[in-house]
Amino acid sequence: MINLKINGKEVQVPEGTTVLQAAGQVGVTIPTLCNHPDLHATGGCRICVVDVKGWRTPMASCTLPASEGMEVETHSPAILKSRKTILELLLANHPRDCLTCDVGGSCELQDLSYEYQVQVPEWGTKGTRYIADSDPNPFVRVDMNRCIQCTRCVRACTEIQGRFVWTMAERGFDTHPVPGADTDMLDARCESCGACVAYCPTGALSDKMSYGQGRTHQVKKVMTTCTFCGVGCQFELNVKDGRVIRVTSTEEAPVNGNHLCVKGRYGYDFIHHPDRLVKPKVRRYLIEGKKKKTKGKPWEWVETDWDTALDLAARKLHDVRTNFGADSIGVLTSAKCTNEENYVMNKFARQVLGTNNIDHCARL
Amino acid sequence: MANYRLHILVCMDPVCREKGSQQILESLKKELITAGLDDEVRVMETPHIGGCEQGPEIMVYPDEVRYAGIAVEDIPELVEKHFLKGRVVPRLLSPLEEHEDKELSAPKPKEVRVVLRNCGKIDPDNIEDYLAEDGYQALAKVLTEMTPEKVIEEVTASGLRGRGGAGFPAGRKWGLARATQDWPKYLICNADEGDPGAFMNRRVLEGDPHSVIEGMIIAAYAIGASYGYVYCRAEYPVAVKTLRIAIRQARELGLLGKNIMGKDFDFDMEVRMGAGAFVCGEETALIASIEGKRGEPHPRPPFPAVKGVWNKPTNNNNVETYANIPQIILNGAPWFAAMGTEKSKGSKTFAIAGDVEHPGLIEVPLGITLREVIYDIGGGIKDGKGYKAVQIGGPMGGCLPVEYLDRPIDYESLTAAGAMMGSGGMVIMDDETCMVDIARFFMEFTQEESCGKCTPCRVGTHRILEMLQTICDGKGQPGDIEKLEDLCHEVIRNSLCGLGQGAPNPVLSTLKHFRAEYEAHVYEKRCPAGVCKGLTRAFCINTCPANVDSPAYLALIAQGRFAEGLEIHRKTNPFALICGRVCPAFCENRCRRGLIDDAISIRMVKRFMADQFYNEPWTPVCAPSNGKRVAVVGAGPAGLTAALRLAQRGYGVTVFEKMPQPGGMMTYGIPSYRLPREPLFSEIDNIRRAGVEIRCNQALGTDFSIASLKDDGYKAIVMALGAHKSRRLGVPGEEKQGVYHGIDILREIALGEAPDLTGKRIAIVGGGDVAIDVARSSWRLGAAEVHIIYRREKEDMPAHLEEITAAEEEGVQFHFLSNPVEVLGGDAITGVRLQQQRRGDVDNSGRRSVHSIPGSEFDLACDVLVPAIGQITDFGWQADAKVETEQLDTHLAILQHKRRTRDEEKQIETNRLSTFKVGLAFETTLPGVFAAGDAVQGPATVIDAIAQGNKVAIAVHTWLTQGKVERVLYKQPVHMINQTVDILAYADARRPQTQFIPAELRLSGFQEVEKGYDETQAREEAKRCLRCDLEWQQYIKDKNLQ
Repeated sequence: MINLKINGKEVQVPEGTTVLQAAGQVGVTIPTLCNHPDLHATGGCRICVVDVKGWRTPMASCTLPASEGMEVETHSPAILKSRKTILELLLANHPRDCLTCDVGGSCELQDLSYEYQVQVPEWGTKGTRYIADSDPNPFVRVDMNRCIQCTRCVRACTEIQGRFVWTMAERGFDTHPVPGADTDMLDARCESCGACVAYCPTGALSDKMSYGQGRTHQVKKVMTTCTFCGVGCQFELNVKDGRVIRVTSTEEAPVNGNHLCVKGRYGYDFIHHPDRLVKPKVRRYLIEGKKKKTKGKPWEWVETDWDTALDLAARKLHDVRTNFGADSIGVLTSAKCTNEENYVMNKFARQVLGTNNIDHCARL
Repeated sequence: MANYRLHILVCMDPVCREKGSQQILESLKKELITAGLDDEVRVMETPHIGGCEQGPEIMVYPDEVRYAGIAVEDIPELVEKHFLKGRVVPRLLSPLEEHEDKELSAPKPKEVRVVLRNCGKIDPDNIEDYLAEDGYQALAKVLTEMTPEKVIEEVTASGLRGRGGAGFPAGRKWGLARATQDWPKYLICNADEGDPGAFMNRRVLEGDPHSVIEGMIIAAYAIGASYGYVYCRAEYPVAVKTLRIAIRQARELGLLGKNIMGKDFDFDMEVRMGAGAFVCGEETALIASIEGKRGEPHPRPPFPAVKGVWNKPTNNNNVETYANIPQIILNGAPWFAAMGTEKSKGSKTFAIAGDVEHPGLIEVPLGITLREVIYDIGGGIKDGKGYKAVQIGGPMGGCLPVEYLDRPIDYESLTAAGAMMGSGGMVIMDDETCMVDIARFFMEFTQEESCGKCTPCRVGTHRILEMLQTICDGKGQPGDIEKLEDLCHEVIRNSLCGLGQGAPNPVLSTLKHFRAEYEAHVYEKRCPAGVCKGLTRAFCINTCPANVDSPAYLALIAQGRFAEGLEIHRKTNPFALICGRVCPAFCENRCRRGLIDDAISIRMVKRFMADQFYNEPWTPVCAPSNGKRVAVVGAGPAGLTAALRLAQRGYGVTVFEKMPQPGGMMTYGIPSYRLPREPLFSEIDNIRRAGVEIRCNQALGTDFSIASLKDDGYKAIVMALGAHKSRRLGVPGEEKQGVYHGIDILREIALGEAPDLTGKRIAIVGGGDVAIDVARSSWRLGAAEVHIIYRREKEDMPAHLEEITAAEEEGVQFHFLSNPVEVLGGDAITGVRLQQQRRGDVDNSGRRSVHSIPGSEFDLACDVLVPAIGQITDFGWQADAKVETEQLDTHLAILQHKRRTRDEEKQIETNRLSTFKVGLAFETTLPGVFAAGDAVQGPATVIDAIAQGNKVAIAVHTWLTQGKVERVLYKQPVHMINQTVDILAYADARRPQTQFIPAELRLSGFQEVEKGYDETQAREEAKRCLRCDLEWQQYIKDKNLQ
C-alpha cells in the first residue's frame, strides 16, 4: 500500500492507483475532461493538473501514479488559475451556441466553465472552422467546431467497440478527430454503435435522430432493458411529453455500462411508429365464420380483442394438430423475448403441442 | 610484403582512359623498370581521383602530389626528377582541388574534435577506415575488461550529460535502466534532429556512423539491452543509408548479433525512419512513433527506463551522447572530465547560423564563452553590423543579448539566462533584427509542430502566435504584452511535454531582454529594427529618430512642390535648414536604394528644399492660448522643439538659456564652417514667431530655480539642459596650462574667445565628432600641427566617416591605438605621454576592446592638449542652488523658500550625475518636471534631440490635460503622395557627388565647406527614391490593417 497526502489529508491506496483515483477516495473531486474511467488515461486536456511537491510543473493527476510520501495540492490558487486558463483556451474557438446546442445542460465543458466562471476571452474569438453536421451517418451528428480534442471518441471506438473508426488527424491547432483516413464514418467501417457519442463530453458528437428534440433536463429518464436481444443491456429511455426521444446509456447498467449496439441505442423508432401493431388483428372471415378465399383479394385485417385473437389462434393450432399431427407445427421464438418467455414457449411446444419443432432466431 | 617508397596512383576512370591513362600506366611501369625503381616505387590503378577534365592524372603518395594533363613524353622526366631524385616537377603539377566543406571546416583555435574527430576524414561506408582509427577498441575493452557496472561507473565519472538538450547525466540514466527488473530491455538512439538549421547529428551519422553504433553497443552491454533502434528522420536519406551500411558491416564482422566478439552478449539494432515531426524528438513521442502509433508524447512517470518502447525498460540517448562513449572508454573518464566546467563536462557540437561571418558546424569544449564562439570561431557579425542577440537551444531556446556574451556555455548557465543548451543550434542575429518578429518566427514553427494532444500547447501556442502577429501588425493594445506574458507562463506550466513547456521561451526571453522593443510596437506603433512590415512605412522614416516622412517630401520635391514638402518636414522636424546641413542622416544608412547603388542623398535634397525658403520667415500655426504656461530650460534643439510643439498646442512657453545666444550645441558645439550662423538663427527665429519667449543669459541655479519657476506660475518644466560638461581624462597633469576640454574650446570659439592657436601644435584626444570639430577648427585658427589621439582604430571611431575624411584631407595626423597617460611639462604643457594599446576581444559595443601595453610609452610634443572624450550633463545647479533671497521680504519666506528649493531639487534623481532619471513619459522623479534631449539620452545628434522635443511636448500636454501620463503615445503623421515618376527611367541614375570648397580655401576661415544642390540636381535625385512607403500602403490595404 502507498501512503500519500492529498490537500493535507492522509490517504492509503494500492500500488497502481492514480492520484486522481486517490483523491476520489478522500472525497476530493478533481475536474476531468479527457479522462473517463472506462478508457485508458492520456493526460491530454490538462484540466486535472495538480501541484505535487518536488515537481517543477503541475502534473496531470489522471496519469500520475500515486507514490509513497507524495504531497498533492489539488486546488491551490495557481492550479485554479491553470484550469481557468485551459478552459479559456478551449472556449476561445468554441462556438457560442450553447443556447441552441443539443447537449446544453449535459455538457462537461459547460459545467466546468460554469464552475470556474470562465469568460470567453475576446482576443480568442475567431469563429468556427468546420462544417456543422458534416457526416452522413444516419445516427451520429458530427460538429467538430464543438470538439475539444479530448480523444474520448477515438479511445471509445478503439478500446470498447474495437472498430478503430476515429483517429486524430493534423497537428497543432488543426488537430481534430476524423473517421478513417478523413473519410466518412460508414466508409470507415462504423457500426453506428454510438459509443463515441456516449463518451463525447461536449456536443461535438450527438444523436442525429434526436437532434433538437429535447435536452437532458427536459426529459424523464426511464431505465429499461433492451428488447432487441437476450443480452440484457439496460439503458435509459429519454421521455419527453410521453414520447421516447432518445436512448442514453448509463454506467449504472450492470451488463453493458455505457456501451450499446446500434439497435439498442438507435433502434427505438419502432416505439412511436405509425405501423406499429398495438392491438391484435385477424382476418375478417375468421370473425365472421366465413371461408378463406382461395382466389382474388384476401380478407382484410380487422382489429379485435386479445381473447378473440387468442381463441382463434388456439383453435387453428388445435385443428392443425388434430388433422395433420403435432409435428406438422413448428415454433419459432425470438431473441427479443426474455429467457422466461422463451422457456414458456419451449414448454408450450413440447408439452402442450407435443412437438420438438422449436427454434429461436438466436441473432440480433 | 614489399615496402615501397612511393605509391603512384593512376586514375583509370572513363574520362582519363579516353585521354590515354592506360598508356601513361604502361609507360610509367616501363620507365620505372628502366630506372631500376620498380622495387621502390609502386604503380597502382585507382578508379577516380577527381579532376578528370584535366586528365590524365596521377597522384603520388606520400608526397600528396597530383600531376594532371601529362603525356607519355613527360614520363621520363617525371621518373628522373621526381621518382628518382625526389624533386617535384612544377610544370605538370596540379594541386588537388579542395572541395570546400561549407558545413564543417578545419578546426579553428579554441575548437576541439571529439565527436567530429573522424568526420570528413574517414570513409563512412567502410568499416575498415573506422577500425583504423581505433574503432571498436572501446567495445573490445568493455567486453573483455569491464563489467556493466564498471562501464556505468566510468560514464558517470566522465560527467557526460545528455546531448539532446536536457542534460540528464548519461551514467545515471543508464543506471536507472539497468536497475529495472524487466526483460527484454531496449536501446534507442534519438536521431530525430528537428531544430531548424541544426545538422550536428546528421554530420556524425553521415561521416562517422560507427562511433554511434559502437557507443550504442557499449550502452546496451551496460544496461543489458538486447535490441536497439536508431530513430532517424526520413529527411536524412544519406544518414539512413550510411547507417544501414554501417550496421550491416558491423554485423558481418560479428560486432552486432549473437555472441558479440565471442562473448556471451547479444545485441542487434535497426534504423527506424520518422516522418519528420519535430515532437518526435521528445522521447515518449519517439517511442510511440517507433511502435507505429501517432507521434504523441505521454506523461512521465512512468519513465522510459521503467516503461519505454513496447512497455519495456528503454534507454534513450542522443546521437552525440553515444558518439562520445567510445572516446570516454578509450581515453578514460578523467580525460573527458578535464574538458568543460564543473557541472558540464566534455565538448559539444553547435551549428552556428544567422548573421555571422563563418556559419557552420563547430565543436567546442563546454564552458567556452558565447563571445569566443561568435567572434573567434564564427568570425563576428556579418557585414560589420552590430550584435543583437543569439538564439540558443533551437526553437524552444532563448535569445540572449549582448550582456550575456561572456557567459560560459554550459547547461546551468544557459538555463539561468533564460535559454537552454538544446541540441546545439545557435542562431546569431545582427542589430537589424526585430526581436518581436523573431519570437513570432519561432512561435510559428512550434505551434505548427505541436502534436495537438494537450490543450495548453495546441491552443496556447496558437494564441501566442496570434498575439505576436497582432503586435507585429501594429494592432497591439495596451495590456497585450502582459496578457502575452501571462499566457506564456501558463503554457509552460501546464503543457504535457517539453515542446509546450519550451515553446514560449523565445517569447519570454525576448520579453525579458528586449521588452522595450515590444513596447515600441504596441505603444508607439513602431518597429525599431524596421522589420515588421505593417509598422515600417519605409526604412528611412523608421530609422529617423523623429520619423520625418522623407519619401513624402522627396516625392513633392520631385514634382517641384517644395513648399508642401517643407510643410510636411516641419510637422516632425522644425529645423530643415539646420538638419539639411548637419544631420548624420540615419535615413540614408538604411535607404533601400543603397542596396542597389547609392542611397538617396536625402539630406542634400532636404537642404535644397529648405534653402528655397531661406529668406521666408515661417510662422507656425498655433492653437488658441489655453492660458497655461510652461518653462523650458535650455534652448538647444530639444528645448526649442519642445517649446514650439507646446506653443502650437496653445501653451505660453518661456525658454531659459544660460548662454548669450540660443541654439545650445548647435550654436556652441558645431563649428560654423559646418553650420553657418545665419540659417541657424533664422530657424530659431521661427520658434519665436510661434510665440515662444527665449530668455538668454539665464542660468539655472543662479538666476532662477525650479521652485522659482513654479512660483512664477509655470505649470510644467522641461529640462533640456544638454550635455555641456566634458569628461575628464583622469591623468596626471590634466590641470596644466594649455589643456582645454573639447566642448569648452568649441564654445569659446563660438563666443569668439578662443585661445590663440596660431602656430601651435594641437593634440586632441578622442574619436568622436567633437574631436574632429576641434581638429578642423584648430586649422582654421592657424594651428601649425593638429594631432588626433584615439585609443582604438579608425573603423571604431564614432565620428562620421565624411568628417574623418575631411579632417584627413585637411592634414590632421591620427595616432590610433594610443592613449594618454600623462600630461608633460611644467606649469604649461609641453607634450603628452602616450601608451600604445593592443586589441583584445570584441566588447559589447561590437568593437575590439583595447588593453594598454606597459612599457610602450612614447611622447608627443604639443602646446595644446584637448581631451574630447565625451560630455555629460552639468548638474552643478543641483548642488549649489542659490536663491535670490533679496526678492523675498521676510525671513520666514526666505527659510521656506530655501527649504523647498533644496527639497524639491533633491527629489530630481539622476543617473550617477550624468543624465536625468526619467520614466517612459520623460517625467523626472519630481512631478511636473520633465527632461529631454542629451540630458536624458547622453550626447547624441540634433535629430535625436528634436525627436525627444516632439515627444516630451506630448508628455507635458498629456500631464497637464489628464493629470497623469504613463507613456508618450506618439503618432507619426502619414502622408500619401502619389508616385508621378517612372522609376524605371531612373534605374541608372546616380547620386551626385557632394561638392566641397577646396581644402586650401577651407582653412582660411569658417565659411561653409559643403556646397548644396541646384534645382535640377535636387529634383532628379529625389526621383531616384524607390518609394517604399507605397509598398507599405499596399501591404496595409492587402492585410486590411487600417
